[in-house]
Amino acid sequence: MSRVSTASAVFTSRAEARPAEEPDWPLYAVLFASLGIVAGLLWDISWHRTIGRDTFWSPPHVLEQIAAVVAGVSCGWVVLHTTWAGDAEARARSVRFWGFYGPLGGWLCIWGTLMMITSAPFDDWWHNAYGLDVKIISPPHTVLAAGMIAIQIGAMLTVLARQNRAVAPGGRLSLLLVASAALLLVMHATVLMEEAAFPNHMHASRFYRITALGFPLVLAMIARVARLRWPATTAAALYLAIELVILWTLQLVPAQPRLAPIFNPVTHMVPQPFPLLIVVPAVAIDLLVRNVRGRDGALAAAVGIAYVTLMVGVHWFFADFLLSPAARNFVFGADTWDYNVTLGDWRYEYWQIDRDAAGDWSRGRFLIGTAVAVPIATVSARVGLWLGKHMTQVQR
Amino acid sequence: MRRLPRWPLLAAVVALCSAHVGSPDAWFEGSAGPYRVLVHVQAPGVIPGIATVNVRVDDPDVERVTALANRFDATGGAPPPEIAHSVAEQPGWYRTQLWIMTTGSYSVTATVSGARGTGSVVIPLAAYPLRRLRLSAALGFALGAAGLVLFAGLLTIVGAAVREGVLPPGAQPDRSRRRRARWTMAAYGGVLALVLLGGKRWWSAEDAAFVRSMWKPMASRAAIEDGRLIFAIEDSIWIQRRNVGWLRSRGAPRRPDLIDDHGKVMHLFVVDAQEGRGFAHLHPATTDSVRFTAPMPPLPPGRYAIFADVVQQNGFAQTLVAKLEWTGEPPPTGEPQDADDAWMTRPAPPRDGAGARGGTTVTLEDGSVLRWLRLGRPMRAGDDAPLRFTVEAPDGAGPLEPYMGMAGHAVVVRDDAAVFIHLHPLGTVSPAAQRQFLPRSAAQATSPERLPSPDHSAAPAHPDPLAHALATAAPAADTITFPYAFPAAGSYHIWVQVKRNGRILSGAFRAVVESTIRGKGP
Repeated sequence: MSRVSTASAVFTSRAEARPAEEPDWPLYAVLFASLGIVAGLLWDISWHRTIGRDTFWSPPHVLEQIAAVVAGVSCGWVVLHTTWAGDAEARARSVRFWGFYGPLGGWLCIWGTLMMITSAPFDDWWHNAYGLDVKIISPPHTVLAAGMIAIQIGAMLTVLARQNRAVAPGGRLSLLLVASAALLLVMHATVLMEEAAFPNHMHASRFYRITALGFPLVLAMIARVARLRWPATTAAALYLAIELVILWTLQLVPAQPRLAPIFNPVTHMVPQPFPLLIVVPAVAIDLLVRNVRGRDGALAAAVGIAYVTLMVGVHWFFADFLLSPAARNFVFGADTWDYNVTLGDWRYEYWQIDRDAAGDWSRGRFLIGTAVAVPIATVSARVGLWLGKHMTQVQR
Repeated sequence: MRRLPRWPLLAAVVALCSAHVGSPDAWFEGSAGPYRVLVHVQAPGVIPGIATVNVRVDDPDVERVTALANRFDATGGAPPPEIAHSVAEQPGWYRTQLWIMTTGSYSVTATVSGARGTGSVVIPLAAYPLRRLRLSAALGFALGAAGLVLFAGLLTIVGAAVREGVLPPGAQPDRSRRRRARWTMAAYGGVLALVLLGGKRWWSAEDAAFVRSMWKPMASRAAIEDGRLIFAIEDSIWIQRRNVGWLRSRGAPRRPDLIDDHGKVMHLFVVDAQEGRGFAHLHPATTDSVRFTAPMPPLPPGRYAIFADVVQQNGFAQTLVAKLEWTGEPPPTGEPQDADDAWMTRPAPPRDGAGARGGTTVTLEDGSVLRWLRLGRPMRAGDDAPLRFTVEAPDGAGPLEPYMGMAGHAVVVRDDAAVFIHLHPLGTVSPAAQRQFLPRSAAQATSPERLPSPDHSAAPAHPDPLAHALATAAPAADTITFPYAFPAAGSYHIWVQVKRNGRILSGAFRAVVESTIRGKGP
């Protein structure tokens, strides 16, 4: 084993006498951080769509800051404890980083926290130089997003290592692992919000190509790596539950716009669009991953076909429902728009639909465009299966 | 002098921020209902950005001062006003910050409530990105250092994952695993380097797009032809502004036509910015609003900066700029000038310290003494620096008269011509633009050429602002104050023009403005 610095010899001699049990609280801490990040992000987006103005210390920002601090401090504590006060067994199940020991996922969480902290002064300068949040996707926001996603992946790896070391299959650890994947699904769906989230998007083949990029990857990966009977289904169901809780909670909070120009005077926080029903293709993915033997290439193709077919089958008709008056209520949160949006009939129309040369909707072009989504989903699933295969080996 | 009618409690007197050179803030001094106010709106440098609204109320019984910003075409109402808090070190001043979200024409409404009732004043704000911020060396170094650490950290994590992450607890990586880890780190390093390169290009593209969006006046050129000064606007979108087909083919906006501003379609200033030997305030004529001509006054030869103030039909005012090399040839034709044209010449001031700072009195052409009542403290960039002058007339000379509707005019130019402002006692106000905001009949209010004013639905009709300016033009005690704050440090010339007995009198001063230590600002 590597040498431990003499400064911590006092701790070492005492700790090595009785190996400590592996504590659970770091798992809950990093999962809380991952949840806080996506909840804070959805809350922040709602804040900007409802109230408009914010400061560094607005409540959604504070939640994201707390999440980052919890991730960084908890993993930092684990690292320092393992390095200086932990027993040999603790260091044996860690990876080494610049002389310190800690779980692999923990290092990624610390890195993510530092990225989020670094993005703050960069973002502040960017606002002064180029305008306050004129675009969501800017270089400093990309640094922030990379940090957030790193914390989420770090949380997943932390739980993953524990699950993979556990002797018994399934159980609490696998459920926590699936939860971490669900949080990644929420993050991915949030990133896609402007492009492929509204029911108005769902009659365009573009929606199916965009949603084929990332969801199959996460679902295939978790289907392979989590020791549950229905891992992808459970992850998709948890994604749905998390999104619904946030969707309903936001609608209960009174708020008013504080910036001009106001074209839509809202009275409560504007929620995100109703979540996607990826739970349906997730069932198919679980069945395929569990039952299809043979090369991963063929499995990925099967997943790609099943995924796109079921996505189209479900969302084409669900979109009709969401655009109808029957969905304009608290449960579905349909027809809710930003304060600075000029309302009109476009709210109930389908956007970016596939048109022919005459400008009419073309079934042929839609089908071709959607067929292109199949190889996209196949590649995405293939990458997910490959990642899953390697992730089953992560033990630290 | 005609007495001003009593304003209703919710009077909405409107002032316009002119897009002057290097001096983007709006100043207004006048009435907000029953209160006398001085309002200073500090324009945001970027859009979306934050405008700081400063209101000074000359009344001790003020309960509340609020401000809100709204765009002229907003149909969903206005956001709740922000409360302006009193400024601790500046009694009588109230300050708040407003977010300006889009480019274009915004209005800032400041409302004062107190024992004497409630009064409002509406100040349009032309919202455009104005300045480019550089990354400071300290911040750049800190971010760069953090970036290096994060870059190295991520590669280390990748290496640790490949080397040890997939091994059972306690197992040691063998040589092939260590080698694979190193290769993976190298590959990731290459990928990350490409990502960073892409990020740098993205940043450069955003910066270039921002620079393109920054406010720029229309390109213009000045020249001398046969003893006449020719000022020509060279912006093709302006020249073709009535050619709908040409505009549509290029996706160019239609620029609104010019309107007269206190009686003139253009106020053109010919300024020797560096030494102040010559100054002219001319009103060229035009037939097409593209080429403006005026007889060249007998200024000494030299290099001059030309500033031309114009106002468009949508209430937007801007200063066009050009340079002129005046050789003195061909000599001025002696043609009659516009009756309101005026110029002055003087020898170059001495270069020593005393001369550079300038004196405080100037004797005008009719023997009056123009005295600058300087502040008792050094002038700093960003600090309030109202320019106050008295004019002591020789016995029996008669009172000052309005000069184009104003008690006086002041022109402030920095010696490198990077700052120019044409000031009146009302502030940075164009009465023509004021007129664009007055309530009109419903039919006129819906005209696309005019900016509808959301605040006027409740307010009754107001007198013509030019008439209002005339009514308040002649000062009671021959003291004229121009509200102002110098936007930047440097050496300035200040030209002041007043009128007596039908004669326009001009005087010049020098001023040195120091860098800000603790200026007023967001």
